[in-house]
Amino acid sequence: MSRILVVEDDERIRSSMRLALEDEGYEVEDVPTGEEAVDRFNDDPFELALIDLMLPGMDGFETCRTLRRTSTVPIIMVTARSDTHDVVAGLEAGADDYVTKPFVAKELAARIRALLRRSRTDDAPESVITFGDVEIEPDAGVVRRGGSEVHCTRTEFRLLCELADHPGKVLSREHLLEKVWGYDYFGDGRLVDVHVRRLRTKVEPDPANPRFILTVRGMGYKLAV
Amino acid sequence: MDPAEPPGGPASTDRPDEARPTDGAPSRRTHRTRLSEGLGLRARVTVTFAIGAFLLSTIMAGITYFTARQSYLSERQGADQRQAFANASLIQNALRSPGTQVNQLIESVDTLPGSRSVLHRGDQWFATSISVGQSALPLELRAMVLTGTPASQFISVGGSPQLAIGVPLPAVGASYFEVFSLDELENTLRTLAITLAAAALVTTLAGAAVGRWASGRALRPLAGVTDAAVAIAGGDLDTRVEAGDDSDLQELASAFNRMTANVQERIEREARFTSDVSHELRSPLTTLTATVGVLEAHRGELSPRAQSALDLLDGDLHRFTRMVDDLLEISRFDAGSAELSLDEVDPGELVRRAVAASAPVDPDGQRVAVSFPVEIGPGVDGLRLRVDKRRFERVMTNLVENANLYAGGVTRVIVEGDSVGPGGARRTDGKRFIRVIVEDHGPGVPPAERQHLFERFYRGSRSGQRESSDGTGLGLSLVAEHVRLHGGTVLVTNAPGGGSRFIIELPLVDAENDWGQG
Repeated sequence: MSRILVVEDDERIRSSMRLALEDEGYEVEDVPTGEEAVDRFNDDPFELALIDLMLPGMDGFETCRTLRRTSTVPIIMVTARSDTHDVVAGLEAGADDYVTKPFVAKELAARIRALLRRSRTDDAPESVITFGDVEIEPDAGVVRRGGSEVHCTRTEFRLLCELADHPGKVLSREHLLEKVWGYDYFGDGRLVDVHVRRLRTKVEPDPANPRFILTVRGMGYKLAV
Repeated sequence: MDPAEPPGGPASTDRPDEARPTDGAPSRRTHRTRLSEGLGLRARVTVTFAIGAFLLSTIMAGITYFTARQSYLSERQGADQRQAFANASLIQNALRSPGTQVNQLIESVDTLPGSRSVLHRGDQWFATSISVGQSALPLELRAMVLTGTPASQFISVGGSPQLAIGVPLPAVGASYFEVFSLDELENTLRTLAITLAAAALVTTLAGAAVGRWASGRALRPLAGVTDAAVAIAGGDLDTRVEAGDDSDLQELASAFNRMTANVQERIEREARFTSDVSHELRSPLTTLTATVGVLEAHRGELSPRAQSALDLLDGDLHRFTRMVDDLLEISRFDAGSAELSLDEVDPGELVRRAVAASAPVDPDGQRVAVSFPVEIGPGVDGLRLRVDKRRFERVMTNLVENANLYAGGVTRVIVEGDSVGPGGARRTDGKRFIRVIVEDHGPGVPPAERQHLFERFYRGSRSGQRESSDGTGLGLSLVAEHVRLHGGTVLVTNAPGGGSRFIIELPLVDAENDWGQG
């Protein structure tokens, strides 16, 4: 049973989320503040964290960044606003995905399942993929650059593998949203954009002038070979 | 009727933006300050300048004319008198010598062309010309001269001005008269008058032109204020005017800017309030949605009565959530903070996906397949549309829901390329559009209601229908807002087979434009 940490200052929402997620078969721990979330996480890591962005004291962005410093745990941020700034800022703080209040428990559970999927897509080849000085071991879930391991979140890893599985081919944002996040056509393309940016800082020699993960105007992204 | 509209009847004018003026509060008392009476400002300045130039130039021309005339006449009179006296002394000398034929003498007098001599001697008159006899000479002049006083007088003979000069010749008992024609002088003066009148006319026109130019120049800052006001009315509340160094305009500029800032603040405060309310409502809604979900999961443990209650709760919770979402969306539009998150997509696929996503979800969490066809026109293949997919999905969902609630569902959805414009006419503005058409089974929308259909909370004659309680009342107004944010338009007409036909036009990607991510 997967253990999920819920960080939410509103006691009623916290209780209702616990009820709903327990119904979906998860073990839920809930805390009201970011500070407690970091403490609890350091004591005993969880398999996924749901973090509300509007928290007293240490806010959701800061909590997200703090957890990211030591962990690649999947993080879903919970926001009352889908305004451009909050969502992008949350993703840049390290979140893998977001849900907007009020959310339906079944949809939240679907998001959680998508992030907890262990492996990447099934049609991937077994062998090691390399480009530049980057080396990907799909089965081991390891990315190395210049011989030393690069720490990627599971989402970043899946995104990198999806691009690397189709070298030279342009993949649309819709395709990547479906393969990596399990979204349909109307998923939020900003998820892809921010994750590509994050990935570039990890595998590109110069993230501002990418050589490998290229933006194709009007089409999507591709991995240059 | 707007020529860009289909020529097909009253339906064609039902654009949401035309309906907007009625959006605000109903009739209310407004205070109007009348800025001007009668003629326009520019016209008045121009007329004033023209009248001023006319008066000035007429007075100057008049003075010039009369001075010149006076000077010409006195000069001419002097010259004529000198000649008359010279001729008179010539005749006197001739008459002194005996045997002189007066007739021949008078003929021999050297006169200027146009001047004629008359001699009076011993009660007899002798003239060079029959036309000028003694009768042409005025009586007073004759009387004066015959009594021995030289005199001159301006006379008019047969309408032409003449100068008559009389010189008594007492030594020979005669009087010599000479009549000079002033036609030439008259011509000169007439030419002068015409020239001066023309100059006055030109000056008047020039005055009017200067007045027009000067008023235009003086009003140019006003044009700037007008532009700013138009921009503000169009929703660009960040517009301000700049007075520059002109101290006369600074007061106007600062008052204008103060007004704009106040309006902006009030609008933002209202929008922020709506936005805050919507956000605050989200917390209890989150709890409600999650707990109702838990209750749904344990439905089997509930009594039939509790299940019915749960269904009611679930239905209205869903509707309430939609209303909060829609209000939040509306508040973003009102605050001008609605942003497009653009993707470049294939229009056909977009519409198919959006239609599929508009279908309700069955109890197992699966989308129900839609029962109407999506017809993709032949010109659509290969076109690219830059669109905010989420907003477009809302547009289609709202239109489909509207059809389900009020018109017995959608009959078909059509996607057309830009080869035809509204009304089937080829577009002339060079812009390329895609049209998405949604037709329904309903009775159509009466022409009188069409312009109100896209207003918030408008229900019109449908308000009596049972289903109307299921909508949020914001769906179609959001359709209009989403479409307008894309630079497109939406209107409603009648479908060929009855029912209403919603037509959305969205601009296609210009091949020259850069692709952005919004």
